[in-house]
Amino acid sequence: MALLDIKNLHASVAGNDILKGINLTINPGEVHAIMGPNGSGKSTLSNVLAGNEIYEKTEGEILFDGKNLDDLVAHERARAGLFLAFQYPIEIPGISNMYFLKAAVNAGREYRGEEQLDAMDFIDLIEEKKNVMNLRDDLLERAVNSGFSGGEKKRNEIFQMAMLEPKLGILDETDSGLDIDALRIVSDGVNALRSPERSFLLITHYQRLLDYIVPDFVHVMVHGKIVKTGGKELALELENEGYASWVGEEGP
Amino acid sequence: MNDLQQMRDKAASVFEQLGFPTTREELWRFTDVSALANQEFSNDWSPASVDFLPLGEFYLVFENGKLSPEKSNIGGLPEGIKVGSIMDRADDRFGTLADTQSAFVAANTACFSEGAFIEVADGIELDSPIHLIYLADADGAAFHLRNLISVGVGSTFSVVEEYIGTPGTAYWTNAVTEVFAADNATVDHYKIQRESKTAFHFQTLEAQLGKNAVFSNHAIALGAALGRNDIRGKLMGEGGEAICNGLYLLNEKQHFDTHLFMDHAVANCNSHELYKGILDEKSKAVFCGRILVRQDAQQTDAVQSNRNLLLSRGAKVHSLPQLEIYADDVKCTHGATIGELDEVALYYLQTRGIDPARGKAMLTYAFANEVLNEMKSTPVRTYLENLVHEWLEKVSG
Ligand SMILES: Nc1ncnc2c1ncn2[C@@H]1O[C@H](COP(=O)(O)OP(=O)(O)OP(=O)(O)O)[C@@H](O)[C@H]1O
Ligand SMILES: [Mg+2]
Repeated sequence: MALLDIKNLHASVAGNDILKGINLTINPGEVHAIMGPNGSGKSTLSNVLAGNEIYEKTEGEILFDGKNLDDLVAHERARAGLFLAFQYPIEIPGISNMYFLKAAVNAGREYRGEEQLDAMDFIDLIEEKKNVMNLRDDLLERAVNSGFSGGEKKRNEIFQMAMLEPKLGILDETDSGLDIDALRIVSDGVNALRSPERSFLLITHYQRLLDYIVPDFVHVMVHGKIVKTGGKELALELENEGYASWVGEEGP
Repeated sequence: MNDLQQMRDKAASVFEQLGFPTTREELWRFTDVSALANQEFSNDWSPASVDFLPLGEFYLVFENGKLSPEKSNIGGLPEGIKVGSIMDRADDRFGTLADTQSAFVAANTACFSEGAFIEVADGIELDSPIHLIYLADADGAAFHLRNLISVGVGSTFSVVEEYIGTPGTAYWTNAVTEVFAADNATVDHYKIQRESKTAFHFQTLEAQLGKNAVFSNHAIALGAALGRNDIRGKLMGEGGEAICNGLYLLNEKQHFDTHLFMDHAVANCNSHELYKGILDEKSKAVFCGRILVRQDAQQTDAVQSNRNLLLSRGAKVHSLPQLEIYADDVKCTHGATIGELDEVALYYLQTRGIDPARGKAMLTYAFANEVLNEMKSTPVRTYLENLVHEWLEKVSG
């Protein structure tokens, strides 16, 4: 059974149709990449999947792990194993990263019928995961993303993903704004999470990320549609030729 | 006590003249006290059965306006610190700070029959706060409480005034507290108002700061149907610093007023004011923050911020900053916001598995926590953290 099955997805925001018939199937263990010009609808797709209610699904069907996503609101989707690493992570002043993560981890555990982590177990889990992401201690104590640098925010997103161990990780331009070392750390972190059950959807503008996290499929999204699907070599092709041949064909 | 009798007589005639304020008066425009003005209050006394938790080693307990030596504990106070009833002591400075043009202060001066008197000598340091606990559950009673706190040169001292009422009881607390912080003194004053939600609560707090004195006031309000804090700081010596922070948590039809008045009389003083409000249901808050920088008060640094979070469409806030600046080389800023919970932050929490009810509570707590974080006393802060959590559970439940 596919982990994610998107059929003919149409979605709009603020009265504008953005997604115009997306079809995408991701099987367990697969890594898919989506590339495409600015404004083509990549972040819209990730937000529709995550359950952001300002985006309206107007047509189509999304099945995640056998469940119809229409039946689940955002926090239920997260608990069911869907994770979105945001293109622009939000700052939440006043709530410490640690406190936030503990609430998030325990929400997932409760959903799965697992025991709540106590303070000690939680610290152990943090220690284990933070070393992988090379995250400084003070960032854990600080308020969620508050005053974090762009790169720190991105690393914090992947750190959260490592803590939550989702079934599907959607990384919306996590590589943008990362320095060369951080890109490697983040990629190693993602690769460490790869497993036959866990899948990833990488949204990126740069072929470079895909050298580190090698995808099984690369899709090109233009004007709210997937216009081409190929293997990892498609990313190289795009890097050389750009999107010109697709963007011209169809008006917005 | 002849002087006192004169003061009382004078205050009584002032009250006679002024009467209770009406909404025609500028500072009472949004605050209708007619329900209070139209009520008769009795002087019958009864003991109070209200639970309390001392926040320090030393505490005075007042039961329905009367000092209870049995419930209090001031044995073993360090040398140089006197704590007792205001009825047993005299201080020349009594009544010199309290605003004589306020009807509530006048009523208090004319009628008070109990309160705390605290005198800290020079060069004393006390870590544990003195806790003044006012318990109330007498229906139809009025409590005119009068406190005077004097902290000597270079001393460090903290005090908590906590007003606790039994839910459902209706009474009127009318308190006045005068604080004198001498040169180089550090005084932390905490006020925790958790009166019955059917009670009236009024307090005027007046603080005078000497040279290089630091005075902080942290006012937390949860209770009373109609409540008002008048807080007035007078910076009378160079190098003084006044911190006035507050947090009001309101629901149902509660109405709560804060009137701050910071008087920068001399040069080189700082004042910081951070007030936050969380309002649910049909509650209403008024924040009036007046900063006066007199001609001589050059190099004044005054910051005021009032931020409000509305949890329901029926809640209302009137935020009225008032800067009056007569010196030319000063830094004064103020800002006021009235907003709702950040939907984007709520969504972010949700995408991590945190349900909206929990997310709202987390964000609301984070909003309040900024004020709690400014409190130096760990027992007081911890106690208030719990009260805020309890309150949030109630409003979100
Ligand atoms: N909340 C919103 N309100 C109005 N328009 C929106 C909103 N979100 C997205 N859009 C519009 O939808 C279109 C697609 O935006 P989206 O963010 O999905 O693009 P993207 O492919 O992620 O682009 P980029 O590569 O620049 O991140 C854009 O034209 C954008 O302006
Ligand atoms: Mg995007």
